[in-house]
Amino acid sequence: MKKLILVLSTLLLLTGCWDERQFKNIKLVLTLGYDQGENGGIIETVSIPTIQRSSEGPGPESVQVISTDAVTPRDARDKVDQSISNTFDPAKVKVVVIGEDLAKENIYPTLDEFYRNPNNNLNAHLALARGKAEDILNFNSQSPTRISDYISGILEGAVAATHATGENLQLVCAELIEPGEDFSIPMLKIDEEQSVIKFDGMGLFHEDHYTGIDIPADQTTLFMLMQGKKGRVARLTKKVSDKHENEQMNYVTVNVMNQKQKLKIKAEGETVSADLKVDLKVRVVEYPADHLAESATVKELNQKLSEILTKEAEEIIKIMQEANSDIWAIGRQVKAYHPEVHKKLDWIEAYPEIEITPNVDVEILQHGIIN
Amino acid sequence: MGFWKRLFFGDHTKLEDRQPNDTKKEPKQPSSAKLSANIDYLMNEFNRTSDLKIRILKKGNAALLYFESLVDQEKVQEAIFKPIELGDVEDISNLPHSKETLNLEEAITTLLRGHAIYMEDGSRKISQFKVTSSFNRSPEEPANEKVVRGSHDGFVENMMININLIRKRIENRDLNVKYFKLGKKTNTNVAVIYLDGVADPEIVQQIETRMKDISADMIHSPGYVEEFIEDQTFSPFPQMLNTERPDRAVANLMEGRVAILTEGSPTTLIAPSTFFMFYQASDDYNMRWYTGTFVRLIRLASFIIAIGLPAFYIAVVGFHFEVIPDDLVIPVKSSINEIAYPPIMEAFVMVVIIELIREAGIRLPQPIGQTIGIVGGLVIGDAVVRAGLVSNLMVIVVALTAIASFVVPSNELSTTLRLLTFPLIILAGTLGFVGIVFGFLFILIHLSRLESFGVPYFSPVSPLRIKDLKDTFIRVPLYKMNERPKDSHAIQTEAVGPSREWKKREKTGKPQTIESGTNQTTGGDQSVSSDSSSE
Amino acid sequence: MQTQIGVGILSLPYELHLKAKQDGWISLVIGAAILTIVLFVLWGIAKQFPEKDFFQINDVIFTKWPGRAISLFYVLYFMAVSVLIVLLFTRLISLWVLPNTPFWILAFLLIFVCLYLANAGLLIIARFYTMVSFLLLLLIVLTIYSLQEIHLMYLLPVGESGLGKIMSGVPEAMMSFLGFFVSLVFFSKVEGKSKDKLKIMLAAHLFVLVYYLFTVAVTYMFFSTEELRLVPEPLLYMLKSFELPIVARVDLFFVSIWVVSVATSFTTYIYMAGLGVKHIFNKKSSPIIHFILCLLIFVGATLIGYDMGKMNRFGEIIVGIGLGATVAFPFLMFPIVWLVKRMKGKGAGQA
Repeated sequence: MKKLILVLSTLLLLTGCWDERQFKNIKLVLTLGYDQGENGGIIETVSIPTIQRSSEGPGPESVQVISTDAVTPRDARDKVDQSISNTFDPAKVKVVVIGEDLAKENIYPTLDEFYRNPNNNLNAHLALARGKAEDILNFNSQSPTRISDYISGILEGAVAATHATGENLQLVCAELIEPGEDFSIPMLKIDEEQSVIKFDGMGLFHEDHYTGIDIPADQTTLFMLMQGKKGRVARLTKKVSDKHENEQMNYVTVNVMNQKQKLKIKAEGETVSADLKVDLKVRVVEYPADHLAESATVKELNQKLSEILTKEAEEIIKIMQEANSDIWAIGRQVKAYHPEVHKKLDWIEAYPEIEITPNVDVEILQHGIIN
Repeated sequence: MGFWKRLFFGDHTKLEDRQPNDTKKEPKQPSSAKLSANIDYLMNEFNRTSDLKIRILKKGNAALLYFESLVDQEKVQEAIFKPIELGDVEDISNLPHSKETLNLEEAITTLLRGHAIYMEDGSRKISQFKVTSSFNRSPEEPANEKVVRGSHDGFVENMMININLIRKRIENRDLNVKYFKLGKKTNTNVAVIYLDGVADPEIVQQIETRMKDISADMIHSPGYVEEFIEDQTFSPFPQMLNTERPDRAVANLMEGRVAILTEGSPTTLIAPSTFFMFYQASDDYNMRWYTGTFVRLIRLASFIIAIGLPAFYIAVVGFHFEVIPDDLVIPVKSSINEIAYPPIMEAFVMVVIIELIREAGIRLPQPIGQTIGIVGGLVIGDAVVRAGLVSNLMVIVVALTAIASFVVPSNELSTTLRLLTFPLIILAGTLGFVGIVFGFLFILIHLSRLESFGVPYFSPVSPLRIKDLKDTFIRVPLYKMNERPKDSHAIQTEAVGPSREWKKREKTGKPQTIESGTNQTTGGDQSVSSDSSSE
Repeated sequence: MQTQIGVGILSLPYELHLKAKQDGWISLVIGAAILTIVLFVLWGIAKQFPEKDFFQINDVIFTKWPGRAISLFYVLYFMAVSVLIVLLFTRLISLWVLPNTPFWILAFLLIFVCLYLANAGLLIIARFYTMVSFLLLLLIVLTIYSLQEIHLMYLLPVGESGLGKIMSGVPEAMMSFLGFFVSLVFFSKVEGKSKDKLKIMLAAHLFVLVYYLFTVAVTYMFFSTEELRLVPEPLLYMLKSFELPIVARVDLFFVSIWVVSVATSFTTYIYMAGLGVKHIFNKKSSPIIHFILCLLIFVGATLIGYDMGKMNRFGEIIVGIGLGATVAFPFLMFPIVWLVKRMKGKGAGQA
């Protein structure tokens, strides 16, 4: 027995390590970008931070951004490897940015590699780039943060402020593959004037490609609320009157404290219709026009907000149907609850035609520490 | 003890002097009536050793023999000559406190124990006087088992004092002490102590048989006894608890375990012992039970840290760096980026350095030891990182591991843990997490296989006994520990009866029914006599 | 005492349930229901011979030589299952954790550790199992963590894939409970009344069922129906996408704990095979037998190696044999046992 142990340990010592991937020998890639290349290929852009070690903690940091032309993402990786010391490893990738043009094609081939290999990070954020992903990655911001932190910070901020869903690679996968269920991905754009990267709405997807149609950034909060999702804060600023000369007086800003969303699907014969009811309990955080001391004013404001938001919701639904992007997975739900109706319909064609009636109901519960 | 026996069993016949060891089996050499023959025999047996003092008395008709080196001269005066000078007795042989024998071999053993013997020409009678000198340290708190609260005495090198310390704590007629003489040449006194009626007689029997089987020239420390009687010498885990604290020994005796004391060493062996016993400290029972539980959980966590942390770190850095959370990736990466050696080498270097510092610190006198600690710990640690030989993360990991291994209350287990780190490091360095899992699996299987005197070593956990877990991972209030743990195989299970009835009574308003005498402390002799070596 | 049984083959159900699409859980329940009946039959058999283990029962009811032949067949079957476990284990590890490590190292490690445990004897094995069954709770906790992202919608519509498909998933479902046969082999070795033992068996069975059902349901709800088709180990895949505050890649930890369950079920099979061999050849020393068995298993497993096609074929064969050996055979055995017992009883009465 003891000899056996001895033999075992020597065996292990002698044979060495097959799968060792020394962390220190690896170039970490924290941000990846994919763009449409020539002849159906892709361009992969990687940003590789290298940190010098100093005696007291991490030292100065240099970032290397490399772009390569290749046929497939994996091929691109090999090509990148040829131009850097050591090998690079996307296991800790934080953000994957996909160029607008590439996204308009099927995005699954680009992402396949992420799903197939076990040590990839499926937690990575997914974002679209207005224009080219390469530009975003090459973007030299004045803030000292790393580009990966910068972008993921923007995206996380957007989620917290109820502008975007926290879509990561894994969550997208389900919606990417399942028919009758679509998704949206945050869109990023470079603001040249202020030299910042900006969140620019949500790109709507149909099945596996970007439709080219966005929900604009100022409507995304409502768009999220309509999906029943709320980040840490959901703030809506709406124009409620034209009475005042001072423009600022015409606006009200509310924080959504509590929200309830209900989607009712009716399917009879071959017609499917849906009722979307969104109940918002809000707190007024900015309303210079009135002091809301009387309940009548509050009621009026409730009504007004509800009207405005319902109207806006209608617009959003119109955009979605135009894009044929079934964010609510109405198709899957019809399949789940009304399979016989679903069989009769060609869902892709039916979806833009179905009737979705939104109804947003706003109720002001609090109005800050002054009336 | 004898008194009780006489009282209860009427056992008058067995009233005779008893000795730490049975002399009945020893060879007999009848003394002769001729003094010179006796002296010659003794001189020869002792190979004419120079420190055997022979005082010829009564003009050559009598002799007093003793080992100069073993007896206290003052005691000789006091015990033998003073009574004569005072005229209480005329003759030394008539002194009342002498013990008489006709066996020269017995005389030899008593001489070796530090007695003086007195022989007269024309009489076969040998009178023995106990005049042993003993040099005892005071029972100070052992340096390696300090507690914050609780008793601050400790065992010393004198077994009699040690037994005294135990008996003072357990005033019970059932406390049984059995002497053995081990070591063919050294004749070391070893005592087996247990609480009759609580300890499993089978285990006691087993310990005795194993002790009797020892056939070695020298038994000079409990470590010897341990290696001779333990079940698995090839296991890295200690299977008997070592302690120098009387309170700990007593607590274990009360659980139904057996203590083994050795003359000349303050260390007491406790058997059967289980893995989790090594994680209990007497401190735990003096704290609030929340704190006791907390401390104990920390100690058990230290087990995992001590053997697993370096392995885990190596596996992460060498195999699965994906598990590092996003925000930590860059700092980790930057710290190990320019280290020349693979992490497994780093770990080995650091672990060996720590062991070196520790070993050097122990052997050196205290002031120098501290210097070594500072030079080794601070200077080398810092320089090694600055030189880029070892990453600062590895220094943190190894230092944490070392600290975690010192948290274990038992020194034995602590060394075991540090030793176990190495195979796990190797496994982690070759197979990553899978290697660690297999390593842990192997250790766990080994622990479940181990038995200490027929008691499963990993006891309240495997085999699982949920009742006993209340003194394993946590420490519940003492009155809730109403049963002795099963792993000690105690034959009397109840340890604590309903002790908080007063609370119920307060609610119901019933008066206390006083049971006669049970709860009252019998006023024992509280003064600690330093001269407790009397037999 | 035997709660651990059958939990070893954790990843098997997911793979196989895909036959019945989102209704896989129905197959699971049906399979479990059938097995409960089988369990009663097994109990019925074992109750007749409370002193004897499975191989000795064989001896009694089929007379010596045919009985031994049957025992030998079972020994071979147990060994084959062991080989299958080794194969599944190494494949999963190589896919998920160590893609480049040679097959024999992983197989060797598993077999070595299990050999060490099997040699310790049934009592120690049982002790060890009860200890590690706590790890199952940890697995469940990890699974619960993923509950935040599930959609009940994916389980609907119920029964979409049709009865035929659901039924075709049943054998696979039953396979995942393969360990239940252990209860027959070890029946006599466990102390206690036969009623209590039945209770324990049923409780263990129920626990395994609930556990499987829970994981299957969670994974089904987490992944969309189409996506599940792409993911052979959905549970791991699901955990992979989560990040706990302290560590990322939860799946790695899951695999690590899972290794323990694999080791336990593997040990059980080695031990059972060893018991059979001991009985057939009337040998006493089990360490040597176990060692030889392990060597054979090791060689057998190495022959197949990482080859997925071969492994699948091998697995299918084992599933077939397994169904025959553990489900059909007891039904066959039961009347014989009953007959033999009666005849013996009469013979004894006349004499």
